[in-house]
Amino acid sequence: MTALSVVWRHRALLGALTRRDIQNRYTGSVGGALWAFMHPLALLALYAVVFEAVFKVKVPNLSLGQPYVLFIALALWPWMAFQEAVMRGTTAVQQNGALVKKVAFDHELLIYSAVLSCFAIHGVGFAVVLVVLGVLGFNIHWLGLFSLLAFVPVLLLMALVLALLLGALQVFVRDVEQLLSQVMSVLFYATPILFPMAMVPGWLADAMHYNPLVHVIDPLRNALLGQGVLDAASIAVVGLGSALAFAAARAFFLRLSPYFEDMV
Amino acid sequence: MTETPLIQLSGVGKSYPLVQKGGHQLAQVWSRLRGMEPSHVFKALQDISFDVYKGQSVGLVGVNGAGKSTLLKLIAGVVKPTTGRLERRGRIGALLELGAGFHPDYTGRDNVFLACALMGLSHAETQDRIEGILAFADIGEHIDQPIKHYSSGMVVRLGFAVATSVVPDVLITDEVLAVGDESFQKKCIIWMENYLSNGGTLLLCSHSMYHIQKLCQRAVWLDGGQIKAQGPSEEVTQSYLAWHEAKGLQDKVAKPDSTESAGIYHVKTMRVNGQHHTETVTMASGSTLTIQGQIYSPDGRTPQVAIGFAKLDGTAIYGVVSEMDGVQLSQGADQLFAFQIEFAPLDLLPGMYAVRSHAMDPEGVRMFDHVECKLQVTGKSRELGLFALPHSWR
Repeated sequence: MTALSVVWRHRALLGALTRRDIQNRYTGSVGGALWAFMHPLALLALYAVVFEAVFKVKVPNLSLGQPYVLFIALALWPWMAFQEAVMRGTTAVQQNGALVKKVAFDHELLIYSAVLSCFAIHGVGFAVVLVVLGVLGFNIHWLGLFSLLAFVPVLLLMALVLALLLGALQVFVRDVEQLLSQVMSVLFYATPILFPMAMVPGWLADAMHYNPLVHVIDPLRNALLGQGVLDAASIAVVGLGSALAFAAARAFFLRLSPYFEDMV
Repeated sequence: MTETPLIQLSGVGKSYPLVQKGGHQLAQVWSRLRGMEPSHVFKALQDISFDVYKGQSVGLVGVNGAGKSTLLKLIAGVVKPTTGRLERRGRIGALLELGAGFHPDYTGRDNVFLACALMGLSHAETQDRIEGILAFADIGEHIDQPIKHYSSGMVVRLGFAVATSVVPDVLITDEVLAVGDESFQKKCIIWMENYLSNGGTLLLCSHSMYHIQKLCQRAVWLDGGQIKAQGPSEEVTQSYLAWHEAKGLQDKVAKPDSTESAGIYHVKTMRVNGQHHTETVTMASGSTLTIQGQIYSPDGRTPQVAIGFAKLDGTAIYGVVSEMDGVQLSQGADQLFAFQIEFAPLDLLPGMYAVRSHAMDPEGVRMFDHVECKLQVTGKSRELGLFALPHSWR
């Protein structure tokens, strides 16, 4: 069965698992879902103070009325969605060990729900941030939002690839989770989030282009800033590559999933 | 029978990898990817073959670690067999652990929705069933409280209510009857009996020979991961109990000082007014009833015995345990302990009753088995009810 038919057939379960994943973070807290909005706004305020008031960072090539805090915000939320989705996806099977041991169901749904819930939460966070920035008079290229229709699915696929691979591996080798947080902090700087690709010197940029995230995060931000031209061919190539990688990662996961019960 | 079985096992085996130190985990991933078995395994099940047809009820018996739970997990589809062929047809409902998948921080209601989704129900289908589930679970307003504040009995009731909200073609249960209070156990048994009489198929694993005999036509006895015997449940459970007894004796010979040994307490013989318990005993209302018998004790400690009267539908009328009256059973040969109790006079009103004796552990906490004798009380009284109560009109 293809991933899509599994997802469609078990959409009720996927929905319930995703809802549970989202609730998971806010149940028991007084603020509840309010935290989903508070967190991104607080983070944005922090960045505004540090980079605007203290560092007074100016990025070259950035047109007027587009301060650094806007520049960061547009890349940071997609990154957070990706990073958290991979981290949560990696531990999804292991953390639901009780379920894996006692109930027969498709284990891949655990990975999908972990990734989807992160994208949902940070998607809402991103929307809040965009609205707040817009209201504050920052110059956002609103038409660029349409490009998200291409970028978000590709980013989602990339997160799924890593989550499927690492999630299956984590069941057998518990070191994966430890290693991953190290790798993620390196990946954060290997992706143009705090800086534009245009600032990276040639030799380093050549190396960085091997990071598939570069081809999503940078053009996504440019689209929302209204800079540059959308390179449809590049998106298509990255999207196709991600789809192929997804098929391989899912095959890897399905190959190992019958043995999860032995290990969790 | 030409009908195809709902569950078909032929030569099924399951091995678990043994935990090893160091970098073996990576090697294991590699061998799994290439479709190879790890070199150090524990064979939990070997060469299991049997069929389950529609409408049958099959009990699994065996000591702890015999592979009963693993077998149920295989049939439920939670575990894939390492060897052999396993075919399953129809909707299989598994109660491997009541409340499995419940999250302690969520309310009962939220958990019901997730548990139903795991059984393949959509949100709307769950909405339709939630009333029935809440009624069966009978936990009142607690349903909107987090599960972590529930008593274990409440979790179990909710779990059973959810699992039985969809009537499966095959129901698999693992020791669920061991938990929950008396009335809940009764509710479960009634549910299962209804389910069976409506053509349901049941696979049950229990340490209670009473439950196996009551609910199952056939039984499979697992020992060390292999089938030791299978057949009609009466036969299998009796040979299982006999095996326990023999094992207990052996253990006693081998290590006479051991206080712990395998085997369980059970009623060895029971005579009512001198008659064997399998015969219906007839007595006149108000005459004397004597019950005597022997309890087997696997570890040589003095067991307790419970004697009870019940209506034929199972409703209890009266029960007493030797420990309540401070009575010690007298020790005989072969770890058998004799008891004798007299009811003089026994003022049961005319009718059919059941007299039961149960073996209990020395602490008088756990009840092990259940031997029943039918009792016909004769008489001419027109009084109503169960007992003639002493009375006088003034």
